[in-house]
Amino acid sequence: MTRKEAEIKLKSIFGFEKFYDEQWKTIDLLLKGNRVLLIEKTGFGKSLCYQFPAIIFEGLTIIFSPLIALMRDQVRSLNEKGIQSRFINSEQSPEENKTVIQEALAGKIKILYIAPERQENQEWIEATRSMKLSMIVIDEAHTISIWGHDFRPSFRRIINLVELLPKGLPVLATTATATKIVEADVQTQIGNNVTTIRGNLMRENFNLFVIEVRSEDEKLIWLAEKLNKIEGNGIIYTGTRINTEVYSNWLNFMNISCIRYNARLEAAERKEIELGLMNNRWKCVVTTNALGMGIDKPDIRFIIHTQIPASPIHYYQEIGRAGRDGKPANIILFFNSTKDDRNIFEDSKLQLAFIEGSRPSIAEYENVITTLKNELLSQTELYKKTNLNKNKINVIKADLIDQKIIKEVNNQGKKKYQYQHNAPPLNSEIFRKLREKKLKELEDMICYVNTKNSRMDYLCSYLGDTNINGLKNCDNTNYNKRIFKGNKEIETKLEEFRESNFPELIIKENNVGISIGVAASYYGDTNVGKTIHKCKYENGGDFPDYLLELTLKAFRKKYGTQKYDYICYIPPTESGELVKNFVIKLGEALKIPITHKLQKTKHTNPQKVFKNIDLKKDNVRNVFKYEQPSEIDNKSIIIFDDIWDSGATIKEVRKLLINLNAKTITSLVIAKTVGGDI
Amino acid sequence: MKQELAYWMALAHLPKLTTKLKNELIVKIFYDKKTIIEFFQFDREILKNKYLLNDNEIELLEESKKQLPNYAFMVEDLLEQGYDIIPINSEDYPTTLKNNLKRTYSPPLIYSKGNKQLFKEKSVAIVGSRDASEISLNFTDKIALEASKNFKVVVSGFAKGVDKQALDSSLKYIGQSIIVLPQGIMTFDSGFKKYHKQIVDGNVIVLSTFFPKAPWSVKLAMARNPIIYGLAEEIYVAESSEKGGTWSGVIDGLRKGRKIYVRKPELNEPNANNILIEKGALPVDSLGKLIEPVLYEEQNEDIRFISEPQKNLSNNIIYDLLIHGEYSSKEIIRKLKLEMDSKKLTKMLKEDQEVKTIDGKPIKFTMKSNEDLSLF
Repeated sequence: MTRKEAEIKLKSIFGFEKFYDEQWKTIDLLLKGNRVLLIEKTGFGKSLCYQFPAIIFEGLTIIFSPLIALMRDQVRSLNEKGIQSRFINSEQSPEENKTVIQEALAGKIKILYIAPERQENQEWIEATRSMKLSMIVIDEAHTISIWGHDFRPSFRRIINLVELLPKGLPVLATTATATKIVEADVQTQIGNNVTTIRGNLMRENFNLFVIEVRSEDEKLIWLAEKLNKIEGNGIIYTGTRINTEVYSNWLNFMNISCIRYNARLEAAERKEIELGLMNNRWKCVVTTNALGMGIDKPDIRFIIHTQIPASPIHYYQEIGRAGRDGKPANIILFFNSTKDDRNIFEDSKLQLAFIEGSRPSIAEYENVITTLKNELLSQTELYKKTNLNKNKINVIKADLIDQKIIKEVNNQGKKKYQYQHNAPPLNSEIFRKLREKKLKELEDMICYVNTKNSRMDYLCSYLGDTNINGLKNCDNTNYNKRIFKGNKEIETKLEEFRESNFPELIIKENNVGISIGVAASYYGDTNVGKTIHKCKYENGGDFPDYLLELTLKAFRKKYGTQKYDYICYIPPTESGELVKNFVIKLGEALKIPITHKLQKTKHTNPQKVFKNIDLKKDNVRNVFKYEQPSEIDNKSIIIFDDIWDSGATIKEVRKLLINLNAKTITSLVIAKTVGGDI
Repeated sequence: MKQELAYWMALAHLPKLTTKLKNELIVKIFYDKKTIIEFFQFDREILKNKYLLNDNEIELLEESKKQLPNYAFMVEDLLEQGYDIIPINSEDYPTTLKNNLKRTYSPPLIYSKGNKQLFKEKSVAIVGSRDASEISLNFTDKIALEASKNFKVVVSGFAKGVDKQALDSSLKYIGQSIIVLPQGIMTFDSGFKKYHKQIVDGNVIVLSTFFPKAPWSVKLAMARNPIIYGLAEEIYVAESSEKGGTWSGVIDGLRKGRKIYVRKPELNEPNANNILIEKGALPVDSLGKLIEPVLYEEQNEDIRFISEPQKNLSNNIIYDLLIHGEYSSKEIIRKLKLEMDSKKLTKMLKEDQEVKTIDGKPIKFTMKSNEDLSLF
């Protein structure tokens, strides 16, 4: 097919007059059965490079993409053009996915988007035996490289697949963010004489700012003062899930409409927020980096980072979602430039903690290896046997699979982990290298903050652009620096907010999160957390009165108008009378009687010993009794404990009280942990 | 070469073509110093003129070419789940199997999981009925014990009765085992769970020659028997009735000239062991010891068990030796403790149609069939 013929077809189906040269070059190579790596910025029109050949080919084109939201949008738009397209991912019900597979088998589909995790699904693998395949596309291909900023183990299988695909079957890998190292790595992995086409990554329509502050509070104050003055709608990225809650609560408190988003939310709620973002329902969405990849919204007008991301590549990727329509977008990065006594920037601490904490210890790896040598185990069995938490097990098993020490096999319909005969020993050298690389990238990110030159140039040259031409679109070139000046009024508001914003205790029932109580504070890296830790584990004496005041405030704010008959408390395992003494004071202040009749029927271990939720549940299952059950009948009860971690203990007590016919049950704790940081 | 595996599957599972034809194609590809990937890219003319395929066969090949991407998906899944895919030209492919089954019957592709080194060890197959008697099971146990003492691998078929006993005993005596499946390798989940430890420790390998997802069937169980016989250097039959898998397996083995040891049954035992012995299988006692031909031999002490070879060498132990390599007449006489003149043996072997003469000093001999298979 000549370019001319192709462009006639392009006009009639997609409505565009012409291909860009790089687009046509890519398409031409694919039509001839080649493999191509295409590196182009967001908004270039990468998807046309596979959508067009897909309609020329006789059979099915499969697009592996980690971006669920993007799949949805593209499939809708393709179907509108009369190109039969579907997607398969976890957002659809198994029945819906099954229907799609049937349609693909029947040859009714031209383009099929699929999440890479699906390559582990037997039903899908089974179906691939009889589909008529014409082309394979790997979207966001930087995720296949462990040197990329967002390596995804599930993509490993896609790479294995590509290696095995027959010669002459076209393969396209696309990405907007690949350094030279990642480019080389992806090239090797795709193999078979891949041609790389790289465009320039400049985003002229960005206005880049770095705002230096001297405390975390200053970030909150600046946002409260200025956010409504920034044009349009946008996204605020925070470093942690806690901060998505803190920032969104604070902005709402200041009457700036926003909502928080993070990976812990239910799928339905996440979808709802994504939809709201598309429709500009809020001034901004406050989110972790769980949101963004693949949000196909053309008019995101600002992206603000409250903490520095892990590297310039992460940053380029996250801000890349702004201004896809080519109109101006404000890109702001906060940087807290205070240093601690070890001369470490406050702002890099979170990223440093991620780097240091992201990999389990060698002993934990060996623990998993030894356990799997003896038995074929599922994930649940494995983490019960090893007492490691889910995150660690996930990291360990991905690494062990990667190092060919274990395999993930299907056994009687379940995923199991199988140690391999003749497996090599664990290679920890690679972990050290990855750690060093991450530390270096964090330094590079701080260089972005401190550079005196064009910020866009810095990012593009970091990403391997050779064509740098001194772009003027930042506060180092042609815009005024934004300087934090302070605002007394808002400072007072912030104090007020601090005394009224209390974390809710959420449990899941039938997969729906419901609020069952309140905490006075977060445990994590807070003063409250430190105080509790000192009293509990370092013989620091009774919980001090400021904790009592804070707990009372939290309780009164949310439940002050309700009547209660009793306060019961969780009998201690090791911290002696701390909780009891505290609850007595609490009862006096609230004028609610205390009951001491909630007891344990047998000894339990402290919950913090157990690193995963199943073992925690097992530890407290059926260990509580209430001495005089009739006392509970039709009564309103408060369950008090010092720390809410997994919630397993309080859930167990709730279950007991519900069985004893309690009328209402409210849980109250001093602090709630976030992600098991006790 | 990993990239070749999808092509190997496409060829191995080509419907309608015989194993022999597939193996001959493979030999030809090998001769022409081509890869299987190149073979799949040949045009019709080459396939017709050089590879002598007829139109129908070319059509089938074209059809399977279209399925290469599909096979790639399957190969990825197999490798990801720790299965080995071993083409006939691989170093890992069991030599014993190739030597025994030759071009005509050697499966072009096998699937396995476990310690592939076991394919290289000396091997003993123990076969027999699914509902074997206590005597037969005891016999099986003894043979497995003997095998494990002598570091021989026990080959068995994972059926009830003798097969199961052979495996259990082999594991009991910390011996090593090859399990030959009557089904596709991906349908053996319970076995992989059960024998996890033995597989990890390298004492068990599971092998299948069928399409990986094929469920158990009578047909596959029958087709598996020659593979068991093919993988073993020695074959012991614990118990056979006059029909069924064991029976047809032994008959097939005898026809192919294999040496097969059958347990000499006690009086009135309801089985067909004696008939197999009459048909040429070698009788052994309950401990597996050969029961030597009787009476007149006892009168003549000079007659060795192995007397001078007949002119017709078929079924002869010399073949069994030559199949493993190249030997001069003197070496053959020494190794097999023959009492005959080496010049006479040289002359005889030179005339033998099955034997290949290798010129040199000294002149050496090997089996002609080896020549084909060493090409793989």
